[in-house]
Amino acid sequence: MADSIYHEMKKEGVSRRDFLKFCGLVAGAIGLEALPPVAGFHDVAAKNEQPLVEWVAQALESKPRLPVIWLEFQDCAGCTEALTRSQSPTLVDLVLNKITVEYHETLSAAAGFQVEGAKQMAMKKYAGQYILVVEGSISTADDGVYCTVGGRSSLDLLKEAAAGAAAIIATGNCSAFGGLPRAKPNPTGALGVAEIITDKPVVNIPGCPAIPEAFTGTLAHFLVFGSLPELDHLLRPKTFYGVTVHDRCLRRPFYEAGKFAASFDDEGARKGWCLYKLGCKGPTTYNACASMKWSGGLSFPIQSGHPCLGCSEPNFWDGGGFYQGQSAPLQRSNLTQVGIAAATGVALGAGVGIANARRRKKPVHSTEPEKKE
Amino acid sequence: MEAQAQIAIDTFLRQTGGYVASQLEACTRCGMCAEACHFYEATGNPEYAPVWKIELLKRAYEQRFTLVGRAKLAIGVDKLITDDELLQFSKIVYEACTMCNKCSMVCPMGIQLGPLIHEVRAGLSAAGMVPQDLMKAVNKQLEEGSPLGMTDEVYESRMEWVADEWEVDLPMDVKGAETLVVFSSIEVMKFPENIAAIAKILHAAGEKWTLSQAGREVVNFGFYEGSEERTVLFLKRIFDAAVQLGVKRIVVTECGHAYDALRWTSYNLMEVPPGIEITHIVGLIGEYLRTGRIKLKEGALDGRTITFHDACKIQRRGGHIEEPRTILGILAPHSFRELSPNREESVCCGGGGGVIAIKEADPVRYAAFELKIQQMQRVGAQTVAMSCSNCRLQFTDCVQHFNLDVKVAGLSQLVADALIEE
Amino acid sequence: MDWNKILEFARGPFFNVALLVFVAGMVYRLVRVVSLGWSPDRVPARGSKAKGVALSFLKGILIWPFIPWVKGTFKRNPIIYLAGGLFHLGLFVVIILGTPHMLVWKSLLGIGWPTLPLPIVDWLAAGAIVAMIILAINRVINPVLKLISGPAEWLNLLFVFLPMVTGYMMTHHLFFRYEVLYSLHMLAVDVMLIWIPVSRISHFMFYFFSKAIHGADFGKRAVTP
Repeated sequence: MADSIYHEMKKEGVSRRDFLKFCGLVAGAIGLEALPPVAGFHDVAAKNEQPLVEWVAQALESKPRLPVIWLEFQDCAGCTEALTRSQSPTLVDLVLNKITVEYHETLSAAAGFQVEGAKQMAMKKYAGQYILVVEGSISTADDGVYCTVGGRSSLDLLKEAAAGAAAIIATGNCSAFGGLPRAKPNPTGALGVAEIITDKPVVNIPGCPAIPEAFTGTLAHFLVFGSLPELDHLLRPKTFYGVTVHDRCLRRPFYEAGKFAASFDDEGARKGWCLYKLGCKGPTTYNACASMKWSGGLSFPIQSGHPCLGCSEPNFWDGGGFYQGQSAPLQRSNLTQVGIAAATGVALGAGVGIANARRRKKPVHSTEPEKKE
Repeated sequence: MEAQAQIAIDTFLRQTGGYVASQLEACTRCGMCAEACHFYEATGNPEYAPVWKIELLKRAYEQRFTLVGRAKLAIGVDKLITDDELLQFSKIVYEACTMCNKCSMVCPMGIQLGPLIHEVRAGLSAAGMVPQDLMKAVNKQLEEGSPLGMTDEVYESRMEWVADEWEVDLPMDVKGAETLVVFSSIEVMKFPENIAAIAKILHAAGEKWTLSQAGREVVNFGFYEGSEERTVLFLKRIFDAAVQLGVKRIVVTECGHAYDALRWTSYNLMEVPPGIEITHIVGLIGEYLRTGRIKLKEGALDGRTITFHDACKIQRRGGHIEEPRTILGILAPHSFRELSPNREESVCCGGGGGVIAIKEADPVRYAAFELKIQQMQRVGAQTVAMSCSNCRLQFTDCVQHFNLDVKVAGLSQLVADALIEE
Repeated sequence: MDWNKILEFARGPFFNVALLVFVAGMVYRLVRVVSLGWSPDRVPARGSKAKGVALSFLKGILIWPFIPWVKGTFKRNPIIYLAGGLFHLGLFVVIILGTPHMLVWKSLLGIGWPTLPLPIVDWLAAGAIVAMIILAINRVINPVLKLISGPAEWLNLLFVFLPMVTGYMMTHHLFFRYEVLYSLHMLAVDVMLIWIPVSRISHFMFYFFSKAIHGADFGKRAVTP
């Protein structure tokens, strides 16, 4: 039996006080106190009447580090970059280094057969216990030939790794919903994890990239409670994806007041007015950007002056265009189609109209003027 | 398909060009037109709603000229028009509509319901579905030249009597006269003093005018009936007389629908002889006052509260709205009171459009007149003046029927009585 | 029910088809009516027809919605007038001066315009919804409307009411998630677009005919329309 996390930290010289502080950080990462409730937690907490920090402490004291296997397929590695380039190393770094142990292609110093071998070993050793993290979409067209690692298709690799996973976290829009590769016409047949793996619990942490804290918070949740947080219909944790960007946006008062930036860097934009007219998809985008923000709470796209792209929603690349209004239709009739429609109307109208006009000319058998009373 | 219904439908369709069709399409079934109809307001009968009055026209149009209408007919959601329905609508359209066209002013889409109801009458007339009383009057006009039986002889003798009784010169069939004056038989037979009054005004203005034996009747019962054929027939009598006498102008005396028929409809029904201006006596009097051809005693009628009833076909549909105000402004600057509403928004007397000629319509005609009574009572009118003798007939009959204490006066009479003779 | 997929369909191909059906249908109606022919008016005018037409339209837009200028005719039922006016006012403000709809026009026409703050549009939308309910009730109890109304009139009310009420729910995030409300709204709009050319909702196109005819008929007689 491996050492518990607490014990490992103790070995490294972390004091009890610092450990409890760390537990507080983890509790915060899970986001339970600030954000929507998690199924089951409140009941249990009520029964035991103990604060969340103590829950976390108990878990970290009794459980060993969480094995994590991280696979990348059709991706840009942006989600990994976001995690590792995080401005606040403390939280993310601690979660990744203290709580988990992993096989990660991008981060591994090793390469080729060695790293493949390490992965196979990890999958065997932690069978049934590891968290499989998937980044990037899976190519399914033409037997998945468009994405191969070590000569094997991403489809194969996913199925193999999913077989022994306790749960799967699809991080980033690509692994959740297909992402950029899935944009029309989707030549590689890109799909998200949940559309392929249906016999294992899957959590989607979409975003382009996913907010690092959303990912780490979900990991921490799994560690502490041994289960996945409450998910919405798109398998996203309600903690982080329970409200729209619009509902927490700092520019919302300007939306309500009808003060919009009409173009980039115009007077309104400089005054921080709402970016709805510039194509902001905030109203239909469920994500924690506006509340948790990025780079450790530094900022998020709207705050920095760019409209929300809707990157945590399915098919946002085909969502009408980043600068087209959120309310605009996804498919517009082009001039040719309208022309044909109008021409059809004219032809039909003229046909019926002329037939009607001819009917008008038909003589009427009218009564003779009456000659007597 | 029932025989008469087919005739009616054929007529409706014949009349339905872009003018009719675009307006039938514009209707949103909002029902506001009913609020403007004095017959609906007086009785509360929803069948008097103007939109319902054109229902047959709409059905004929939809069932033949629109795809949706044809489909509904084919699957049985809509039914063909029946002879029975023609009869029902005949009652509504002839007895409970005076063609006053106030409904068009209330319609949010501005639909000209009056003209559309006229098209309904055209279809009913072609199918022979006209109330008996009205048809009797039409036939009388056909055979005797006037619905009130004002034959050649009757006219001649009446005119002689008026000339004698009021000592006024009534030029008859004067070739080369400038103006042909055509009276209505209502004036000749019921309000003969009007003849004398108008003659007096014309003489005072130095008008070169004449009457015509052949063109003696300005009333047009073919127009009431809605028969284009008979409307034109009666109009032709007047135009022929005008051409024959070589006049440059025709003056319609105190009659409303005659002005509508002659001035505003004839050109679209027939070849109207060129170079002949058509005007109404109230417009002519206004012109005389403006150009100083006649002068009136100021304040001649002050002392009794006097009001003016706008005739639908002379004011709202004729445009001679300010002339009566000018006249009464001179005659009763202190005692004149406007009814409310007035001018183009005024309330119809309830007797026009042929209604007063139909006995069965009496109850509803009297009910409608109660609105006028309320209007007059609100301003405390002791005298009510008007420029249409059909209105005058209605007012006179109703004043008697309701035992009212109000004097009914023709505007021309008031003018004639106040002329300053030189 | 995958509401994201339904939304993509309702905003995408369904909207496209609905729009084309709308265009084809309206053009058909227009051409069909116009090709019935227009007899020339040979009556010499006393006043100006053009002035009458101009006044007719101006009164329709500027005065009619705000002042009951026909005196003494609304004793029986001022409600139709007021509710109808409020409905149209709300409708126009929402679909032309409401920001989300302006962006729809912008995507279709290429140009946008300034819009009103949300609270104003919102209150007018609420007013329009209330007005529609009143009009519906009126259509049941008013004797004239009972006589002249058929299934088509009720469908007209329904197919216009649904987009309005789903749009309002969207703005206020009532009861359902955003994708559900947005989907329902778009489905309702698409159905309405298809219904318009086969119903009397197309009156907004024939409005120009009837108002012009009205203005000309009155102007010809030198009477204020």
